[in-house]
Amino acid sequence: MPDPDTDATRSALALKLADATLETLRDPRGALLPILHAIQEEMGCIPESVIPAVAERLNLTRAEVYGVVTFYADFRTEPLGRSVVHVCLAESCQALGSAAVADAAKAHLGVDFEGTTADGAFTLRKVYCLGNCALSPSVMIGGDVHGRVSPGAVGELIEAGRAGP
Amino acid sequence: MEVRRLVKMANDIGAFFERGGDAGGVANHIRMFWDPRMRREILVHLDETGGDGLTPIVREALQQHGHELDPGS
Amino acid sequence: MQSITDRDLGTPRPKTTRTVTVEIDHRTVEVPEGSTVMHAAAANGIAVPKLCATDSLEPFGSCRLCLVEIEGRRGYPASCTTPVEAGMKVRTQSERLADLRRGVMELYISDHPLDCLTCPANGHCELQDMAGAVGLRDVRYGYEGVHHLDAETDASNPYFAFDPSKCIVCSRCVRACEETQGTFALTVDGRGFASTIAAGMNEPFMDSECVSCGACVQACPTSTLMEKSVYAHGQPDRTVTTTCAYCGVGCSFKAEVKGTQVVRMVPNKDGQANHGHSCVKGRFAYGYASHPDRITQPLVRASIDDPWKEVSWDDAIAHAASEFKRIRDRYGRNALGGITSSRCTNEEAYLVQKLVRAGFGNNNVDTCARVCHSPTGYGLKTTLGTSAGTQAFDSVEEADVVMIIGANPTDGHPVFASQMKRRLRAGARLIIVDPRVIDLVRTPHVQADHHLQLRPGTNVAVINGLAHVIVTEGLTDDAFANERCDPDEYAEWKAFVSHEKYSPRNVERMTGVRAETLRRAARLYAKGPNSAIYYGLGVTEHSQGSTMVIGMANLAMATGNIGREGVGVSPLRGQNNVQGSCDMGSFPHELSGYRHLSDGETRRLFQQDWGVEIDPEPGLRIPNMFDAALDGSFKGMYIQGEDFVQSDPNTQHIEAAMRAMECVIVQDLFLNETAKFAHVFFPGATFLEKDGTFTNAERRIQRVRKIMPPAAGMADWEVTQAFSNAMGYPMRYAHPSEIMDEIARLTPTFRGVSFETIDRLGSVQWPCNDAMPEGTPTMHVGGFVRGKGKFVVTEYVETDERSSRRFPLLLTTGRVLAQYNVGAQTRRTPNREWHDEDILEIHPHDAEQRGIADGGLVSLASRVGDTVLKARVTERIQPGVVYTTFHHPLCGTNVVTTENSDWATNCPEYKVTAVEVAPVTRLSEWQEQYRDFTRKQEDLLRERASVRT
Repeated sequence: MPDPDTDATRSALALKLADATLETLRDPRGALLPILHAIQEEMGCIPESVIPAVAERLNLTRAEVYGVVTFYADFRTEPLGRSVVHVCLAESCQALGSAAVADAAKAHLGVDFEGTTADGAFTLRKVYCLGNCALSPSVMIGGDVHGRVSPGAVGELIEAGRAGP
Repeated sequence: MEVRRLVKMANDIGAFFERGGDAGGVANHIRMFWDPRMRREILVHLDETGGDGLTPIVREALQQHGHELDPGS
Repeated sequence: MQSITDRDLGTPRPKTTRTVTVEIDHRTVEVPEGSTVMHAAAANGIAVPKLCATDSLEPFGSCRLCLVEIEGRRGYPASCTTPVEAGMKVRTQSERLADLRRGVMELYISDHPLDCLTCPANGHCELQDMAGAVGLRDVRYGYEGVHHLDAETDASNPYFAFDPSKCIVCSRCVRACEETQGTFALTVDGRGFASTIAAGMNEPFMDSECVSCGACVQACPTSTLMEKSVYAHGQPDRTVTTTCAYCGVGCSFKAEVKGTQVVRMVPNKDGQANHGHSCVKGRFAYGYASHPDRITQPLVRASIDDPWKEVSWDDAIAHAASEFKRIRDRYGRNALGGITSSRCTNEEAYLVQKLVRAGFGNNNVDTCARVCHSPTGYGLKTTLGTSAGTQAFDSVEEADVVMIIGANPTDGHPVFASQMKRRLRAGARLIIVDPRVIDLVRTPHVQADHHLQLRPGTNVAVINGLAHVIVTEGLTDDAFANERCDPDEYAEWKAFVSHEKYSPRNVERMTGVRAETLRRAARLYAKGPNSAIYYGLGVTEHSQGSTMVIGMANLAMATGNIGREGVGVSPLRGQNNVQGSCDMGSFPHELSGYRHLSDGETRRLFQQDWGVEIDPEPGLRIPNMFDAALDGSFKGMYIQGEDFVQSDPNTQHIEAAMRAMECVIVQDLFLNETAKFAHVFFPGATFLEKDGTFTNAERRIQRVRKIMPPAAGMADWEVTQAFSNAMGYPMRYAHPSEIMDEIARLTPTFRGVSFETIDRLGSVQWPCNDAMPEGTPTMHVGGFVRGKGKFVVTEYVETDERSSRRFPLLLTTGRVLAQYNVGAQTRRTPNREWHDEDILEIHPHDAEQRGIADGGLVSLASRVGDTVLKARVTERIQPGVVYTTFHHPLCGTNVVTTENSDWATNCPEYKVTAVEVAPVTRLSEWQEQYRDFTRKQEDLLRERASVRT
C-alpha cells in the first residue's frame, strides 16, 4: 500500500482532483481557483508539494500557483488540527479581555495564531465575532461556543475539546 | 585531395539535380563553387578511372561540360 | 535600476499616430490618443511622482503616488491608469495632492531602512527621488512596529542580489518577468502588509524558474534587486551605446561605465532589435573580457611542440608575414588562406577577405557561416534573390501563425523568443517542427498547436508533405504566386509536390510525423492569414540544408506569405555578426553583397578600387582547406576569431589537418582549441575595445563602440591592416568608419550606409541606398529582389547517415541558454553555474535497454570517433534519437560528428550522426589524449614569460 504522505501520492491525488474539476469546466482558463478548492476540500489543505504538479497541468509556473494559494486567507498549505480553537478578537470580546484569553491559549498550546500543535490536535485561530457578544469574551472549540471565558479556564476548556486521532 | 570526398560531394550535388536530369546544373554548380584544384582532380579521376564511384548524372556532367570545368582551359 | 540616462515616461507609448489635445497644469498639449495622463504629462516634461509605474510595463495602479486632479471628476484618479480624453483638464500639483503623496511616502518609508548612504542604489534610487520630490520630512509612525527590515538577502544568483528589506512590493519585478521576459518566475507571496516578493515557491532565485534575464533587476525602483557588480563598483558615471557580441538577435545595450570599468550592461530601451530587453548572456556574461586567461601579448613559436615566445607586435607581424611569404614562394599563392569571424565587426571581416583577395592573391577565404547558415544564403538567394531573412523581428507582432522549424529560440535567441512568446500569449497559433520537445512546445502560457516531431534528417520530406496538403486541398494563393513568380516553374512545383510520394501517409512513413498532424499543420499555415516561418540550424545543418531552405521559400511563395509584415522566411542566425560576415564577401566564391566572382563588372569595380587583379576562380571552403592541408597543397592559414577545432565536425580529421600546416596564425582572446595548433598568436580585442558595426539576423547594422583601450594595444582591424602592410599590400585606414565608407562605395545594397547614417538612425537595415535611404525592414514588398520568385523542386533525398546495427541511434545537436557556441566566452563567466558540461539526452526506453542511469557516464560512438559524457534520461527526446550540445571541449561532441555536409554549401550535417551509446566508467581515448595535449599546451603557454626574460 502506498504511503499516503509521500509527495508523489499527494501530487497524484491533486492531479486527479484537478482533472475532475477541469472536466466540469467549459473553459480551462480560470480553472485554478476551482481546482484549489477541490484539493483543499478533499485533502484538508493544499500541500506545497502538490503545487508544481498543479502548475504543470495548467501550464502555469509554480510561482503563479503559489502566489494564488498564499493570497487567499482561506487556502492553507498545512492541514488544520483535529480541533480548531477560535478566540474572538472583535470589539466586545477585546473590551472584556480576550487578548489575555488569547495569550493563555497560546501559552497552553505552545503555538501562535494560525499555528497547529505538533501532535496535530489543535489549531489556534482568531475570529472576529462569534455573535456571542452578550457573553464576551468568547472562544469556540471544535464548533462549541463558550462564553465568559477567563484566561485561567481556557486551558481546561481546550483539553475538554481534544478530539481523538 | 582525397578523391573519395570529392566523389561524395559531387554525388550529393548530382542528387539534387537528378530529378530534372539536369547534368548542366551539376556542372554549373561545380563551376561556381569549387576551387580549381578540386575541379582538376575530379576530372583527372574521371579520366583515369572512368569516374569510379560517380553517379551517372555526375559522370554525364563531367563528360559533357569538362571543358568548362577545367581551370586550365 | 534603469539605465542612468533613461527617461521614464511611466507607461508605454501607445501605438497610434492619432492625437488628442488636453490641458495639463494650464498647458495645452497634443498627445497620442490612448496615452495615460502620466505618459502625456511626462512626454511634455511634467513629471508626476510614481513608483509602481515604468514605461516598459503596462500600468498597474498600486502605489497611489501618481494621483492627480481632473476637472469634472471626483476624487484623485491615478494618472498611470487614466487615459487622456480630448479637452481633459489635469492638475498634477496642488496642496491636497502634496498632502496625499506625502502620506503615501510616509507609509512606504515607515518600513524601509534609512541606510541610503551605504545602499548600492544611492544616487539612482526612485524611492529616494520620490521622498525628495514629495518633500517627505518626517515619519510619524516610528519604526518599532512590525516591519520587514530584517529580511535576509538572497545572493544565490551569481549576478544579482535580492534584498527584500528594501522592497516596496510595487510588483515591477513580477510584471517584468511576465510581460517583458514571459517566464512568470516571480510572484507576490501573501497579501496586505505581509506580502513579499518571492521567486518560485519562495525559493532561492537559483532554484526557481528564473532564467536570469535580469528584466526584474532593471525594473526594480530600489536596490532590492541589484547587480552585484554595482555593489562591488558603485554607481556608473557614463553610458556608451553598443551592441551585444553574443547571438544574432543583436541587442543594443547601454554599457554603464566608470572610467574604463564596465559597471553594468543595461539593454537599450531604444534598441530596435531588443526594445530594452536582454538575456543572461548579454546583460551579465561580459566578465570574460577581463578574465585572467586573456592573452595580451603577441606570441610566436616554430612548432606546436615548442614553448611560446612573447614578442612585440612589430616582431609578431614581421614574423607572420615572413612565414606567409616563404610559403607563397615555396608552394604558390594558393597555399594560403584566411578565415573571417562572425564575432568580429563588419569592418574586420571585410578587411580579412580583402587581405586574402588582394594581399594573398587568391580567394581562399571563408567564414564560420560555412558551418551554420551557408545554406540560408544559397537557398534564399536562389528562390527570392537575397541571401538574408525577409523580415524585421517586430514583424512577429503581426503574425497569426508562427511556424518554428529546427530552432530553439528560448535557448538560442532568448530575447526574440520573449517577443514571440508575447505574440503567442496574445493569441497567435504555433507550429513546431523539431525532433526534440523544445521549451516552446509547452511552456507556461504557451502551447504549440502542432508539434511535428520528425526523425532527424527528414525535413525536406516534411516540407514537401506540408506543400502536398496545401496544394492538393487548394489552399495556395495562386494569384500571388502566378503574378509574383514564374508561372511555369510554379506549375511544375505544384505537380511535383502533388505526387502521391508526398502524401501525408507516405510522409508519415518517411518522417515519423503523423499524417493527421501534418494535414492540420498545413491547413493552419495556409489559413494564416499571416503565417511566418522562423528557422535555425535544424534546417541548415543537414545534407539537404539548402534544399530545405528552398522548400520553405517555396511554401511561403505559394501561400502568399512573403512581402509584408507578419509573414516571411526568417533565419535565426547564430552569432552576433554572422549575417554581416557573409555580407562582407567572406565566402570564397563571392565579393561583398553576394556578387559572384565570375561577374566581370563587379570584379573590375574592386580591381579599380583595390589596385590589384582579382582571381576570378572560387577559392577553398573551410572543409576543403582541411582536405587540401592534408594533401599538402594548403600550408598557411590566418584565422580571426574562430575556433573550428572545437566547433567543426570530425575533430580528429581537423586536428590532423592543423598539424599538417606550416604556419597557422590565430587571432583570438584566449588560447582556444585552434590556437593550441598555432604558430603565431595575435591577441584579439573584445567588443568593448573597438569601434565598428555588427549586422544582426534581421539585416540590422548597429554600432559597436569602444569603451576601453584594447587590452593588447591593437584592435583586430588594426592588426589585419598591419599584417597586410607587412605582406606588401598597403592598407591605410585611420578609423573603421573609413572601412565602412569603402564597403558602401563598392556594395550597392550598402550604398547609403555610413557610421553617420547609423548614428543618426540608431540602426539601419540593408538594403540601404538611394531607393531606401533609411533602410529596408521588410524585403520583397511588391516584387522579389531577383525579379520573379523562383520555385525550385525539392526532391527528398535520404541522408547517407543512417542508423545501422552497429550505430542504431541518431545523434542530433543543439545549444543551451547559458552557453554560447564553443563557450570560449561564457565558460569564463559564472554562467558555468547553469551549465558546466555537455549532457547527452536519451529517451527512457533507449536508456533502459542499455542499462543507462540518469546522470551516469556513457560513451557516445560514431563511425568517426567516440567520446564520453553524462547522460540525462528524458522524454524530451524521442526513442531512437539522442541529443547533446558542444559548448565544452572536453565533452568532445564533434569528435563524433561526421564530414557529411549540405550538397550545395558543404555546411556540415551536425544534426544527424548514427551513433551507439553505452554505459562506461572512464573517459575515451581521445579525451585522455585531449587532456594530455591541453596540459602540454598550457605548460607551453605558462613557460612563455621565462623565454622572454
